[in-house]
Amino acid sequence: MVSLEIRHGRLLRQRWLIIAALAGATLLCLVLDLLAGPADLTLRQVMRGVFDPASLDPRDQIILWQVRLPDALIALAVGAALGLAGVESQTILDNPLASPFTLGVSSAAVLGASVALVLSPALPFMGQAAILPVTALLFALGSGGLILAAIRVLGGERDTVILFGIAILFLCNALTAALFYVADAEATQQIVFWTIGNLTKAGWVEVVIVTACFFAVLPFSLRHVWLLTLLRGGEAQARSSGINVDRLRTLVILRTSILAAFAVCFVGTIAFVGLVGPHIARLLLGEDHRTLIPGAALCGALILSGASVLSKTLIPGVIIPVGILTAAVGVPALMALLVLQRRRP
Amino acid sequence: MTHLSVSGVCARYGRKQVLFDVTLPDLEDGHFIGILGPNGSGKSTLIRCLSRELSCQGSIVLDGVSLASQSSRALWEKVATMPQSPPAPSALFPMELLWSICRALGMALSDRALSQRIEEVLALLGLDDQALAPLSTLSGGQRQRVGLALCLIRDPDLLLLDEPTAALDLHWRLTVLELIRRRLAHRGGVVIANLHEVDLAARYCDGVVVLGHGKVVAAGPPAEVLTKEVFARVYHVEAELHPGTDNRPSLELIRPLSSQHRPKHDSDPSGS
Repeated sequence: MVSLEIRHGRLLRQRWLIIAALAGATLLCLVLDLLAGPADLTLRQVMRGVFDPASLDPRDQIILWQVRLPDALIALAVGAALGLAGVESQTILDNPLASPFTLGVSSAAVLGASVALVLSPALPFMGQAAILPVTALLFALGSGGLILAAIRVLGGERDTVILFGIAILFLCNALTAALFYVADAEATQQIVFWTIGNLTKAGWVEVVIVTACFFAVLPFSLRHVWLLTLLRGGEAQARSSGINVDRLRTLVILRTSILAAFAVCFVGTIAFVGLVGPHIARLLLGEDHRTLIPGAALCGALILSGASVLSKTLIPGVIIPVGILTAAVGVPALMALLVLQRRRP
Repeated sequence: MTHLSVSGVCARYGRKQVLFDVTLPDLEDGHFIGILGPNGSGKSTLIRCLSRELSCQGSIVLDGVSLASQSSRALWEKVATMPQSPPAPSALFPMELLWSICRALGMALSDRALSQRIEEVLALLGLDDQALAPLSTLSGGQRQRVGLALCLIRDPDLLLLDEPTAALDLHWRLTVLELIRRRLAHRGGVVIANLHEVDLAARYCDGVVVLGHGKVVAAGPPAEVLTKEVFARVYHVEAELHPGTDNRPSLELIRPLSSQHRPKHDSDPSGS
């Protein structure tokens, strides 16, 4: 009989191979995303242009470096941030329906964006273009802050946290509806457009900010892989093993709020990625968070990058808002995996 | 040499007091104590107090050091608790669960040594074939054994078990309790287990403590504590006790007592 050490080693190697395959697929999607668009850039031009921008003519250089690369990279960064936030939310709330937006972060961001679009507030040291994302970010972080304050006052019980998050979500929705009521037609249309999610407004500053946020949070998530894995055995087991579950929940909610807030403030609320990315990763990689956390981030990046490619290629000459297409990429992948898992002996 | 002293423990959930001045006999190295009592008598609460999961009043001293003053790390190196509910039926593997608890608690073992230790513990509990099977595919009894493995892997001095045999079949009930006895004889330590199977407590425990409405009703060796009167008063059942092997009583349950036949002095100190 093969020892448990060898069987476990094999399983781990298999999972790291899956992660490598996910990384490869994500890279492929990134290249496809750089190729997609009305201007006919060849693979050779894109590759040369990435490593040697001067080799392209000025028009193609602008298309690649000012339009396509920021769009493609923000898709990866936002997708990875939402995937990471989603997997941590689902584990810490022990709820398969949890996503980065369960605790009202997205609704608060929509409210912030609506405030910016309808009331046009003036913020110190800030140009008009920065007001919308900054307001959305502040509102989203504010909702995370409210949840953390509630945990401090009411305790960190899972149900209390979810209920409070849902209360914030409904409050923000109601306030946004009130703004809709007083907004003119143009502002209303802009709010609706923002809530769908759109990658095309991102530039290099946004790419750097979201990427930096993701890589700043990731080490803290990886530090908790054992605790999060243990939590999948049930909260009672974790508590009786001496794990301070309430403290862990506070830290995870802080992380997911920051990730979700930064992910949505520039590109609008992109639903579904933070919910389905982690589920696909769980189906492929199981519950060991050593592999699940990087896997969920890669699945999120892959779904959003795939949706970005589709958004540029489905209707030639038209860029469909990416938020409409995330489900078109994620649902078939999830369904296929569920069917394959059922058929497995 | 492990020594545990528990005295004057009081605990409450909000305004409701559930433990009233609970004192256990001093527990020396190698002792296996069974906590008995009906549902809601405070057994699980006592385990949660002893594991410091629930804050309480009173004195709990392990090896001369108050549990309240121990650092979390020092505490979890010495004490392991098995909760009443078994591990959740998730897609996690028992191997991963055991691995993660050892790493989460900072056990200094190489990957190879840890794999071997996990394999040994799972084999002891008949789970070698389920080591890499999702918890969701395991039966309730198998998951309960995984819960016990989570405690044994840590090799604690004080083992606190909340109904460790509740979901097990007859074979595994006896096997698990014999395993606990063998472990005590081999490496020492103290085991406190909440049990509903009074006959098993009488057979395997060195001493029993009977709780009723959060108070100690009786404590001592099984042969002295498990009497007809205690069964009538605490469990409201009529029972016959016969002398068995090793001076341990053998239990014969007759019938439940109707309310008019119950002893009158059985009152609830909490007033509820």
